[in-house]
Amino acid sequence: MISRIDQMILELKDTTDLMVDLAYSSLLYNNVEIAEEVVMLSEKMSDLVDSTQDQLVEVGKASPDEVYRAIVTTRLMDSMLDIADAAESIADTVIRGLADHPVLAMSIRESETTICLAKVAEDSVLAGKTFGELSLSTNSSMFVIAIRRDDGYIFGPDHKVRIEAGDILMAKGPQDAEGYFKDLADGTEKTIGE
Amino acid sequence: MSDQDDDELRYADMTVLELLTEMKDTSETIVDLAYASLRFNSSSIAEEVRKLEKDMDDLKYAMRYRVMLSARSRDDAKQMSGILEVGLAADRISDAASSITSLLRFPQEKRPYINNILNESDEKYRMVRISDVSDMKGRTIGPDLAVEAQTACRIIAVKNRHGWTFDPEGFFKLRAGDEVFARGSAESLDQLSAYASGREPYEFPEAVPDDKAEEDAADDAEVEEALTEELRGEDSE
Repeated sequence: MISRIDQMILELKDTTDLMVDLAYSSLLYNNVEIAEEVVMLSEKMSDLVDSTQDQLVEVGKASPDEVYRAIVTTRLMDSMLDIADAAESIADTVIRGLADHPVLAMSIRESETTICLAKVAEDSVLAGKTFGELSLSTNSSMFVIAIRRDDGYIFGPDHKVRIEAGDILMAKGPQDAEGYFKDLADGTEKTIGE
Repeated sequence: MSDQDDDELRYADMTVLELLTEMKDTSETIVDLAYASLRFNSSSIAEEVRKLEKDMDDLKYAMRYRVMLSARSRDDAKQMSGILEVGLAADRISDAASSITSLLRFPQEKRPYINNILNESDEKYRMVRISDVSDMKGRTIGPDLAVEAQTACRIIAVKNRHGWTFDPEGFFKLRAGDEVFARGSAESLDQLSAYASGREPYEFPEAVPDDKAEEDAADDAEVEEALTEELRGEDSE
């Protein structure tokens, strides 16, 4: 059983994780649009924290035993907000035009968990399938952070999002998983999973 | 580590690139470890988080030192201001991770929401033990097994009779009886458990000859370059 508050905190955690991934992506590609999404998510975080806090107060009023837990939870939320703020600072350097130095992109390419791009070909096994149908991150070890489609982006795509030919996938994962992922996208590799 | 001259800044001999890479890696590892410490109620993991947080402080000062030395012009200084901000952000993430582990001070039943979300999140944490009939036994997690690429699980820490190894390097060799703390989706972790217990034969990575690997890497870099341009849109033309 998962309560309303669990769900809210889970959303906070997921949003924080996405913000950090997008912040590093915006740095790698020196991309203002992605950086601006991080700022938008930061506003969403603030709203979410406020409503979670209200919810925790209600729980505390209804049952004094819960007050202690509510306070511990508030502390966890504070730390999540700190991480979200840090992600926003990273994005802010991109927005201010202070992230051109090549060393920034290189540091991300050289790190343990890297970020890469792959374009989905017409004959790719990914084309026309949803993330849910593909279990892409489980099967490829690469986690899609964002999709560039036409002139826009889909950030943090969920299970229902359908991949289309022509999409550019932005994904993070271990360096040695990049090859298989790119082969899936460009149509060289036809089998996914077993 | 402490046998160096106290007047010397730790990590001061690293380049800005090395420092930034290390800080970025640490900012990701430390958050994983922080949540894992709550999930497994582990003070050993929490201790590692505090150690990494101290390392991060040293990295931060070394970074400031290197950056100041390298600025030769106003334009350099402008670029460096961005680099410093990114380094500082990585440090703030590690501070936040350290605060998360401080919640361990409270009894587990006082932080139930936290345990629930860690169980409900898409990314879960689990401990698996390497059995003496597992194909993983006696093999390195990087070159031999490519665990993260093959299972989509990230190994956060390994515990054996010698103690803990956090964020183990690729050449770390797994032994029967090792306890592996990993993060991944439920499905990925099930797969890892099957391999670790020996219920299923390990699916090894395909060996790619060196020259082929080099060729592929060059091709990939070219494609990545083209897509990066495409991402930027028409203004790059």
